[in-house]
Amino acid sequence: MPSKEKHVSVKKAFLNAVNGFISILPTIIATIGLVGLFQTYITNSMLSHLFGYSDGLDILIGTLVGAISSGNGTISFVVAQGLQEQGVSLYALSAFILAWVTLSFVHLPAEASVFGIKFTTYRNIMTFITTIIIAFLTVMTLKLFS
Amino acid sequence: MKKLKFKGIKFLIVVIIIYIFTAIFDNANYSISFNTSLKILRSILPIFAFIILLTASINYFLKPKQIIKHFGRDGGKKGTLYAILGGILSHGPMYAWYGMLSDMKSHGLRDGLIVTFIYARAVKLPLLPLMIGIFGVTFTIIINIYIVLFSVLQGIIMDRLINKESPQ
Repeated sequence: MPSKEKHVSVKKAFLNAVNGFISILPTIIATIGLVGLFQTYITNSMLSHLFGYSDGLDILIGTLVGAISSGNGTISFVVAQGLQEQGVSLYALSAFILAWVTLSFVHLPAEASVFGIKFTTYRNIMTFITTIIIAFLTVMTLKLFS
Repeated sequence: MKKLKFKGIKFLIVVIIIYIFTAIFDNANYSISFNTSLKILRSILPIFAFIILLTASINYFLKPKQIIKHFGRDGGKKGTLYAILGGILSHGPMYAWYGMLSDMKSHGLRDGLIVTFIYARAVKLPLLPLMIGIFGVTFTIIINIYIVLFSVLQGIIMDRLINKESPQ
């Protein structure tokens, strides 16, 4: 009976999804716990003191600071706005907001436990380099248009 | 049903130990950290429910053979397009999506598409007005175009790196 087979398979699909979610629950809880600690100990004012060198160095700092920061993407824009008002270059800000959402040191253990150390290493190195390149290209392209 | 195998137990133990130390030596910040974590957990609970339903739908509608066909080694541009759209439209923190991606990977999803998905998440549709307000329209358009282009490029590089190590 196809309808019965279909019903069983829906149940199986749902249980597999729940099962898969429960299996990574320790990773998720640990990551959330770590994000809570980072948000408490690494404040925005701490971050703003790190900039103010050459464009190249500021991009590197922007990428690193974005990578060690954590939280909702909205926060990255608010912090970036604050940094912009303090005179931080657009190169650094581009790198910062990109690294905030694409790189995260806090998420590294979770990513490695789910996808493996090799995948995590490759992806994060690529993303780190890409973030720096995009930051440069974005500001260079913007200069062409203005 | 697959046998339940927990991932990240050691990681969780380490975080619990850090919290215990914080509670002993810096109780005020322990409370703030713990409450922040609870707040984050509460805010992403609906996303978890959505992801479980989405994973169940993928499990039900897309059989492993179809996943391999569209998102596997021989999957073409359609797989890349879906990965970009999925990344752009996905909400919530990245780790919330690990379960679904891991599940699809076990059915044949290639690593390059996971990388494309993760990087394309940098395009935040709901935050575009805020981004435009802070950095301007031109900046917003340029950076988002680069994000999409480089998400594809990273996916291609990742696949080449993985294929180089384990050619088929």
